[in-house]
Amino acid sequence: MSDKDKLAKYRTEIQQMMFVSGETGEPSAETTTLIESIVQDQVQHMLRECSVLATRRGSRSISTDDLMMLIRHDRAKISRLRHFLQWKDVRRSVKDSDDKGGDAGADVGQGDADLAAGVVGSGTGPGPEAGKKAKRAKVELVWEVPSFFNENPPQMDDVEDEEEEEMNFATLQRLKNADERTKNMTREEYVHWSDCRQASFTYRKGKRFKEWAGFGLITDSKPSDDIIDILGFLTFEIVQTLTEEALKVKSAEDLYKKTTGGEPQNRMKRKRERGLFDPPEEAREPVQPGHVQEAYRRLQKGSNKSRAMLNFTRNVHRAALKLI
Amino acid sequence: MSLAPSIHRPSSRDRQHYARFPTQPPNAIRLRTPNATLSDEAMSNGYNHNNLGEGPDTMAEEDHRAALFRQHYILTEARLMEALGGGSNSDALDAIDNAMLLSSEVAPAAHDALPAVTPKKPTRAIDEDDYGDDEDGDEEDDTRTSPLLSKSASNAITGAAIDTPSLRITSLSTKPGIERISTPSSEQTKSSDDVRKRLQQDKKAAEDAAKRSFNTLFYTLESDRDAMLEQQKLDELDRQVETEMSGQPPNAPANGAPAAPQQGTLSTTNLGASSLTLKHLIARIDARRDMVHASDAQLRSLISEVRKNRSKWANEDRVGQEELYESMEKVLMELKACEHAHPFLQRVNKREAPDYYIVIKHPMDIGTMMKKLKQLGYKSKKEFVEDLMLIWSNCLKYNADPAHFLRKKALYMRKETEKLVPLIPEITIRDRAEVEAEERRRGNGDADADGAEDSDDEEPIMASRGRKAPSKGGKGTSTARKAPPAGLEGTPGPDGKPAIPSFNNAVFNLKNEFLRADSEMEGSVNGFSTPPPGTLTPLGPNGHLRNGAHGSQADVSEADGTGVSVSAFTLEGEDAELDDLEFKTWKQVTQKDRANIAAERNRLFRDDQLQVDEPAILRSRAGMRRWLRHRKQANEEAAMGSSTALDGKDGIQATAGETLAEGIEGEEERQVPDYYDPVCAIPDISERLQWIEDSEGHVIQQVEEYMRIVPKGQFTMPDSTLAKKMEANMRQMQETRKICAKIGIVKQMQIQSQMYKSQFQKYDPPSFMEADIDPIVVSEDGPIMSPYVCRAAMQRSVGKIFYHAGFEEFQPSALEAITDIAGQFFQKLVQSLGIYRETPKMKSDTPVPVENGAMTNWIPRFTQEEAALHALHANGVDLESLDTYVKEDVERLGTKLSGMHDRMRAHYADLLRPALDSTAGADGAGAFNDGSEQFVGGDFAEDIGEDFFGFRELGLDKEFGVSFSVPLHLLQNRMHSAYAAQNTNNVATTGVLMEEPPKFEPVTIHNITNEIGLVQEWFLSKLHDNNNESLVEDDDLPPKQRFPKPRLPPTGKISSPRKRPLREQQQMARKKRKLDEDKEDNAGNENGPGINGSMSKGLGKPLGKLKLEMPSQKDSQSVPEPEKDDGSAVGMISPESIQAS
Repeated sequence: MSDKDKLAKYRTEIQQMMFVSGETGEPSAETTTLIESIVQDQVQHMLRECSVLATRRGSRSISTDDLMMLIRHDRAKISRLRHFLQWKDVRRSVKDSDDKGGDAGADVGQGDADLAAGVVGSGTGPGPEAGKKAKRAKVELVWEVPSFFNENPPQMDDVEDEEEEEMNFATLQRLKNADERTKNMTREEYVHWSDCRQASFTYRKGKRFKEWAGFGLITDSKPSDDIIDILGFLTFEIVQTLTEEALKVKSAEDLYKKTTGGEPQNRMKRKRERGLFDPPEEAREPVQPGHVQEAYRRLQKGSNKSRAMLNFTRNVHRAALKLI
Repeated sequence: MSLAPSIHRPSSRDRQHYARFPTQPPNAIRLRTPNATLSDEAMSNGYNHNNLGEGPDTMAEEDHRAALFRQHYILTEARLMEALGGGSNSDALDAIDNAMLLSSEVAPAAHDALPAVTPKKPTRAIDEDDYGDDEDGDEEDDTRTSPLLSKSASNAITGAAIDTPSLRITSLSTKPGIERISTPSSEQTKSSDDVRKRLQQDKKAAEDAAKRSFNTLFYTLESDRDAMLEQQKLDELDRQVETEMSGQPPNAPANGAPAAPQQGTLSTTNLGASSLTLKHLIARIDARRDMVHASDAQLRSLISEVRKNRSKWANEDRVGQEELYESMEKVLMELKACEHAHPFLQRVNKREAPDYYIVIKHPMDIGTMMKKLKQLGYKSKKEFVEDLMLIWSNCLKYNADPAHFLRKKALYMRKETEKLVPLIPEITIRDRAEVEAEERRRGNGDADADGAEDSDDEEPIMASRGRKAPSKGGKGTSTARKAPPAGLEGTPGPDGKPAIPSFNNAVFNLKNEFLRADSEMEGSVNGFSTPPPGTLTPLGPNGHLRNGAHGSQADVSEADGTGVSVSAFTLEGEDAELDDLEFKTWKQVTQKDRANIAAERNRLFRDDQLQVDEPAILRSRAGMRRWLRHRKQANEEAAMGSSTALDGKDGIQATAGETLAEGIEGEEERQVPDYYDPVCAIPDISERLQWIEDSEGHVIQQVEEYMRIVPKGQFTMPDSTLAKKMEANMRQMQETRKICAKIGIVKQMQIQSQMYKSQFQKYDPPSFMEADIDPIVVSEDGPIMSPYVCRAAMQRSVGKIFYHAGFEEFQPSALEAITDIAGQFFQKLVQSLGIYRETPKMKSDTPVPVENGAMTNWIPRFTQEEAALHALHANGVDLESLDTYVKEDVERLGTKLSGMHDRMRAHYADLLRPALDSTAGADGAGAFNDGSEQFVGGDFAEDIGEDFFGFRELGLDKEFGVSFSVPLHLLQNRMHSAYAAQNTNNVATTGVLMEEPPKFEPVTIHNITNEIGLVQEWFLSKLHDNNNESLVEDDDLPPKQRFPKPRLPPTGKISSPRKRPLREQQQMARKKRKLDEDKEDNAGNENGPGINGSMSKGLGKPLGKLKLEMPSQKDSQSVPEPEKDDGSAVGMISPESIQAS
C-alpha cells in the first residue's frame, strides 16, 4: 500500500486536469494512479533523454533546449510551449515591475492556466493585458533562424509576430473544445473549471515534483525553474492528451455497445443539455483504466517513419518509448 | 485381333495339305501378338505342359489349345532358328541350295516325328514357315523376302553341317537351348555382320542426328556429373583391371607349342593371310626355305612379332582368340558405356548388401569380366555370354521386388546384351597345336584327293591366321583376305566335311574387316594413311574385297533388299521410345566428352572450393577453330535449308586456309556442342567495332554515330521552383553572413586598440555553383553507372540541404554518414516503389488499350501515383510533412531570412554610424535632417572619445548619462588600415572627389636651375649622391620607404608627431638605404626605381616581421597617402559600401 501511496501523489491534480480535458465524471483511483504512473514514466524518460543530449553537448546539466529538442517534432506542442514561456516571462516582468504582492500570485496562476490551455483570445485575466504592455521576449529555439548567425541583432519592433499564425490546427481544436465546454457553464461552474485549469504537477510543489520525477537520480538535482515549468506544462499536456484519447476510446466503445445492443447509454446523450434534475456530473461513468491503457497503446503506436530504414531488412523494429 | 483365331484355325487346317504355301499373312499377324505379350519362359512352359499332358488325339477338339500349342511351338522354333541363324551367307550354300531344299523338308519332319507322333507334323511344317516372319520381328537383321528357301536351306545346313541331330532327338525341351548355344551357325555370323553394320549405321545416324540436334536443342548440364562419375568409375575399373593384370603375368599359352617337324613353305603355313608387307619376304623365304635353319613355328612367331598392328589379343598359339576377344571386348565396352551399366560395373559391396552373397552364389560384374577377359579366361562365346547373363539374372534374383529400380536397369542391360551378343562370333578357342594337328590330319587326307596342295593345304592354316589377320585386313591390304572366300568359292568340295574353321574364316574375315574398319576409323587413323610398303595400289584390293564381300552376300541371301524394310521396321519399333531416344543418344554419344569436360571443371572446384593450383581452363586454338567452324556450318546449313544433311564428321568441312596454324595443334574432334566449351567461343564483334576498310584501304570510322555526349545536367540539381527558392535562401544566408562578419570586425575593433591584418579574414563566400561532370562520351543509352560520381552528387545535395538548414560548415564525417543514410533511404524508397509497381496485374472489366494499340484486360494493380504514394507511406513520408517542409522550412524560412538580413544590416549601420541610419541619404546628407545636434553644437568631441577636455576624468559622462564611446567612423586611422586591404575596390568606387594635382617634375641636373637658389646646393648634393639621376619625390617612394608625415590630430596639438615604431622603422630604412646606396655606388648602378625596387626587396622582410599596420608594398598602385585621403578611407566602410554589398 505504501507503494501505491507513494505513487498516488497527484490524484487531485490529475482529476482536475482530466476534468479540464473533458472528463466530466469522477475517475477512479486506479485510473488516476495509472495515469500518474504513465506520466511519471514519461517524465523520467524525458529526463533521461535530456541528460543524454546534455552529455552529448558536453554539459553536465540539462537545459531547456534539451527538453524542447525532445518534442521538436510536435510543432503544435512546441508552439504552445513557446507561448507558455513567453507569457511566463511577461508575468515575471510584470511582477517585477509592479510589486503588487498577493495579486501577482493569482495573476501568475491564472496566466499559467490560460496558457496551458493555449487560451489567448478568451482574455479571462489581466495577464494578456499586462503582456501587451510588457515587451514579450521571443523564445528562440535552437533551430530557428537567429541561431544561423553568430551575431544577434536586436529585435526590431516592427517585425510582425507570427506566433498566432503558427498555432496550428491541433491547438485551435483544443481551444475550441475548451470553449465548447465552458459555453454553458454557470459562474460557479466556471470558477471551478478555472480552478481546475490551474492544476499543475509543479506549481508550488517543486520539491514534491523533483522527488517524484527522480531528479537527482536521473540528472542533477538542481534543475532550473524553467525546466520545472516546462515539465509542468508537458505533464499537463500528457494528461490532457491521454484523457482525450481515452475519452475517444470510451466513446467508440459506447457506440459499439449501443449498436451491438449493449446496455443503453442514454445518459450520455442527456448530459449535453443538462436539465434541472439531472444527476450531478460526477455520476457520469468515468473512463476506466482499460480506456487509458488503450489510449496509451494508441499513442505509443509506432509510425512508418521510425521503421523506414528497417524496410527490406530482417531486423526487428524495437521502438523506443514515445513521448505523448 | 478377335478375328485372329477364327482366321487361323481353318488356315492351319488347310495348310496341312499345301504346307509350303509361301504367303501366309494372317498367320504372321496372328503370331506376332502372343510374342509380344507373353514371355518366353511362360510360352515354353506352356508348351511343355501341353506337350506332356495331352494326348495326340485331342487335337481335333481342342482347336484353341492347338493354336496355343502351335504358337508356343513356333516360338520355341523361332528361338531355335534364331540360335541356328540362317546359313544364308555362305557361298557354299549356293551350291547345296537345291539339295537342301529337299532335305530341309525332310529334316523337320524327321525330327518332329521322333517325340511327337503323327498329327503334329503338318502343323509343324507350316510353322516352320511362320517363324521366318517371326524371326524378322525378333531379329531385325534377318533379311529375307523369301523365307521359304533360305530358311529351309539354313535349316538344312544346320542339320547337315552340324553333327548334332542326335542331340536334337533327345528331347524337345532341351533341344533349343543346346542348339542355340552349341552350334556355331554361319548364318548367325553373317547376320551378326549385318547387325553390326546396321548398328553402326544406326549409331552413326543417331550421332549425326544428335549432332544436328545439338545445335538446335539445349541440353542441360545436369547429367554431366553422372557422366563424369560414370566415366571415372569406368576408368578406375580399367585401371584396376590393368593393375591386377600386370600383377600376374598373362598366362598366355606357351609359345613353344610343339612345332611341326616338317618344313612346309612358309607362305603356306602360317603367314598367308598375315601381311602383304611381308609377302615378298615370305616368298623369298619360301624360295630358299631349305637354306633357312628354323622350324616353321619359329619362323611364324618371328614374323608375327615383326608384324605390326596386331591386336593385343593376338596369340599365335590360340586359334580364334583374337577375333573372339576382340568382339567380346567390344561388346563389353559397349555395355559398359551404357547409361544403366553403372550398378553393374563393380562387385557388389558386402557392406551395401550384407546378404548378397548368401542369395547370390555366383556373383558376377562387368569389372570381373574385364579381368577375366584380360586374363584370357574365356574359351568361347558361350562362357562369355553366360557370365554376362549371370550379371543380369543375379540382379533380378536379388532384387526380387518388381518395382526395384535396379531391375529396370538389369532388364535394360539384358536387352542390350541380347542385341549385342550376336556380334560375337561363335568361336571356341583352340590350341594351335590342336588345330594344326587337325589340319595335318585333314591335309593328309585331302592333299591326295585334291592334289592341289596350294589351295587345300593352305586354306585351314590361312583361316586360322585369317582370324588374326583382320588387323591387317581392315586396312585394305588384303589380297589375303580376299583369298579365303575365293578359296571357298572355288572349293565347294570340303563342305561335306566338318569345315567349321573355313566357315568361320570366311565369315570372320568379313566381319573382322568390318570390326577393324570400325576400330580403325574410330581411332581416327585412316587405314590408308599408313600404307604398308607393299601395298602400292591400296584401292585395288579394297575394291576387290568389297566386291567379294558384296557378292557373297548377294549370292547367299539374295535378300539385301529387305534390309530396308526391316530397318524401317526397327525404326518403327523404336518410335515408341522416340521421345527418350534423342536424349539417350545424346547421352551416349557425348558421354565421354561431357565427362571429360565436367572432370576438367570439377578439378577446379574440388572439395567445394576453388583450387587455385589447378590449371585454368584456357581457350585453345583448336577449340576456337572448332567453334568458328561450327558457326560457319550452322550458317551454311541455315542457308541451304535442312535438306542437306550435315556431314557426320565436322572435321571434314574444315575450310582451307583459315590459319596457318591449322593442324599444328592436335585437333581432336569432340561430340559436344559449343556451349560446352564456352571459353573457346569467340564473341561476335558488334558492327560498330568491326574493322572495316573502304576500297582504298582506309579504315572507316564506325564509332562516331554511336557515340554521344552525356547530356548536361544529369548530376546537377534540376531547375525547379523549390530549388530556386532554396538557392535564394542560401544566397540570402551568405549575404547576411557577410554582414555578420563585418559586424564582428567592427565589434572587435571596438574592443581592441590594435588590429592586425590577420584578424580580418574577409568573409567572402563564393556563390554556390553546381559543377557538372566533364563532358563524357558514352556509347550506350541509360544512366551512367558510376557510383562514386553519383555519391558525390548526392553528397553535394545533402551538403546544400545542410547549409539550407543553417549549418555554415560541417564535419566531413558527418556529411559522409548522412549521405550514406540518405542513400540507403532512397534505395529503400525506390525498392518499395518497384515492389508496388511490379505487383501482378489484375483483371479489369473494361479492356484498356496498350501502347501498341492492342487491348488488354490486364491493368496494373496500382497506378503510378498510387504506387508512389504507397512507397512514400511505407517509408514514413507523408505528403503533409513534405508540404510542411516546403512551406515552413523553405518558404517561410526565406521570409525570415530576409527579415533577419534587414535586421542585421540595420544593426551594422547602427554600429558604424549611429547618426546615419537608413534615413540618411546615400551620401550621408540625410544625417543632418534630424536634429543633427552634433553638427549644430559641434560636440563631436564626445564622439571622438579622446578625453581631451578631461570630462571623463571628471566623471562627467556618468553624470550626464551620455556615452563617450567613439563613433567608429571617426576612427579613420585604424579603420583605414584595417580595411585598406579588404576594400580596395571600394576605394575605386568612391570616385575621386578632387583631381590629383599634377606631379612635380622630378629634380634633375638639368632643371635644377629652376629651383630656388638656396636649395640648389642641397639638391645638387642630393643629385650627386644619386649619381646625377633625377631625384624621387617622397610620395613616389615605395610606401614602406616613405617618411611618415606628421599629422595634425583634431585636438590641434601635436602630442607625438611620429609614432615610435615608425620612427624606428624609418631609421632602419634609412640605414638600409644608406647601405644600399653605398652598394649601388660601388656597383655603379643606373636608376632610382631600380634602387628603390632593390631596396624594397631588402626591406621587405624586417618590415613584415614588425607587423605594423602599414600599407603593404604590394598595393603600390596609385596608393594615395594614408594621411591625406581620409575621405576615401571613410568611404571604404561607408554606408554606401554597405548598400553596395
